[in-house]
Amino acid sequence: MTSSPEAPPVKDGKNADEPSRLAVPQWLRRVATIRRQPGKLARILYGVSGLGLVLLLWWFLTRGQGDARIVDAYTLPSPGDTIRSFHSLWFDRQLSVSALTSLARVLGGFTVAAAVGVPLGVIAGSYPFFHAMIKPLTIFGRNVPIAALIPLTLIWFGLGEVQKVMFIFLASVAFVLFDAINSVHAVSDRYLDTAYTLGVHGSAKRGATQASLVGLIYGLVIAVGWFWMREDSTRTFIMELMSVGFWGRVALGFLCGWVLWFPITGHQMLGKVIFPLALPDIVNSLRLIFGLAFGYIMLAEVINARHGLGSIIIISQRQGPREHIYLCLIIISLLAWGIDRGILYLQRHLFPYLKHAET
Amino acid sequence: MPKPELSASDKPSELKTVDVQPVESKLPLVVDFRNVTKTFEEGTPKAFTAIKDVTFAVEDLPGIGEFIGILGPSGCGKSTVLRLIAGLAPHYPATSGTVLVHGKPVVKPGPDRGFVFQDYANFPHRTVLRNVAFGLECAGVPEKERVERAKEWIGKVGLDPKRDAGKYPHQLSGGMQQRVAIARTLIMHPRIILMDEPFGALDPTTRHRMQDLLVSLWRELEATVFFITHDVPEAVYLGDRVFIFSASPGTIAHQLVVAPPDRPAAEMQSDPVFLESVQEVRGMLGRLEEKAVEGKGD
Repeated sequence: MTSSPEAPPVKDGKNADEPSRLAVPQWLRRVATIRRQPGKLARILYGVSGLGLVLLLWWFLTRGQGDARIVDAYTLPSPGDTIRSFHSLWFDRQLSVSALTSLARVLGGFTVAAAVGVPLGVIAGSYPFFHAMIKPLTIFGRNVPIAALIPLTLIWFGLGEVQKVMFIFLASVAFVLFDAINSVHAVSDRYLDTAYTLGVHGSAKRGATQASLVGLIYGLVIAVGWFWMREDSTRTFIMELMSVGFWGRVALGFLCGWVLWFPITGHQMLGKVIFPLALPDIVNSLRLIFGLAFGYIMLAEVINARHGLGSIIIISQRQGPREHIYLCLIIISLLAWGIDRGILYLQRHLFPYLKHAET
Repeated sequence: MPKPELSASDKPSELKTVDVQPVESKLPLVVDFRNVTKTFEEGTPKAFTAIKDVTFAVEDLPGIGEFIGILGPSGCGKSTVLRLIAGLAPHYPATSGTVLVHGKPVVKPGPDRGFVFQDYANFPHRTVLRNVAFGLECAGVPEKERVERAKEWIGKVGLDPKRDAGKYPHQLSGGMQQRVAIARTLIMHPRIILMDEPFGALDPTTRHRMQDLLVSLWRELEATVFFITHDVPEAVYLGDRVFIFSASPGTIAHQLVVAPPDRPAAEMQSDPVFLESVQEVRGMLGRLEEKAVEGKGD
């Protein structure tokens, strides 16, 4: 192929015979090339300029005082005012406490959802009869409007922390389950065939021991988590340890953990082949669902909560200052993005044998 | 490794077509197929017969195992035969007929019948060492012993136990991955090795090297090998016997006895006598495929 000006490439279409008349500058041609990747520095610059454009528009709409402004201060505070209000958000309204509270609620509910959904999904993905049994339930769980669960959780679990955690659990468990099933289905039969011809078999005795270990962790987490969530300041942890209820919850958690994990640890095919092969996919979907759950907690906190980023937003809407709403929105986005990147980083180190696609 | 003596007058790859019916034999049989038919989704409009009335027997020759090459047009049920021996669903169980391995019906898959697939199927989350040691791990062999034996096998298949043991499969080339898969299968000392186009995805040079490796390992293990391939020279080179399947529903159309591999693959496969018999087998295959096309035209 020659690239002389006398022989323009045919793919230029109808302009091929008159390229000089248009005289498109080189840089514009580069930018307007479909799917042409700019360099890393250029990408960052483009990103900054996109952000700058929005900020410029924001500044333009809110410059000046009183009636001179295009949008009044009540509807949209200026970028400067918003940033200056950070001081009061951090000190007067204890932003860090609220952010941590929100995070703890999501983490609590999400952990329970993963602890139930992942093993159930691995079992259902491996045994079609069980999949057929729970399929109607996942359809229901994935299609029920999440917001509609809030009144129900208020009735069931009251106004405290248990309601928040259970709301996140109910909102995300069906998605976790569904994704875990799909991840298991994605494991190629070829691995199962290979494993069979290498002698994988059921190992009830070993499996029972391993499941007991998992069950113990489940029991302790549930019992300690319960103690924290109740927020009873008159009760010390020592008192809790002596109570029958605490050990009852440990036993209950142990039983749940054991029943959920024994089918996996009790057969080498699930424990050594299916579960580890599906795990990278499962963790990836958990990361995405965590992002969703972080959004749901705002919903619960906007409706009723003492602390939390969602409650700051709703109180700022009612009592001001309005600037805090914008700050909170920015902080929530940054926090969610940071967590997502953090999990992605962990994923790369947990599964060094995979090349992760950027998502 | 004993090499059979060859005199100049010997035609190394002389073909003999053997009667398809099993010969009466006093030796115990390793694999015994009697009128085996496999029909998928029987009784539905989608019913498909993969193999029909397949009958053959492989004797348990003392001290050596037989190497059986399997050739045939695509989709003629070659894999079905292997998977019936291995006991792998959905091909197992057979619709009719009996499949006996060491005189007993196949009940389920097990490490006594190793399987090597074309796409290696190495576990991506395990290092080479832990892939090779997988079968021993399942059998409950203690950690120290299985690491030792796995390292020994990594060396036997021509990988470097020091450098390669800690690598993950995705860091290896296709040929190296297949070496891992072979080590992982043979470490269990299977009496029967089932290979479904194991070298199909490799380039010719790697292929010849893998054939040489396989021959030397097979002689050491004294196992019976069933080897499916689309490569006629490969089947004629490796096999003691070659089964040629007709198109679907698959039946054994010819059983040929060929000379065993007595020289390195690259050398023997350029011998004119060898090439002559390859040509002959190609002719047989071609006629079978023609017949299949005519059959469909009716």
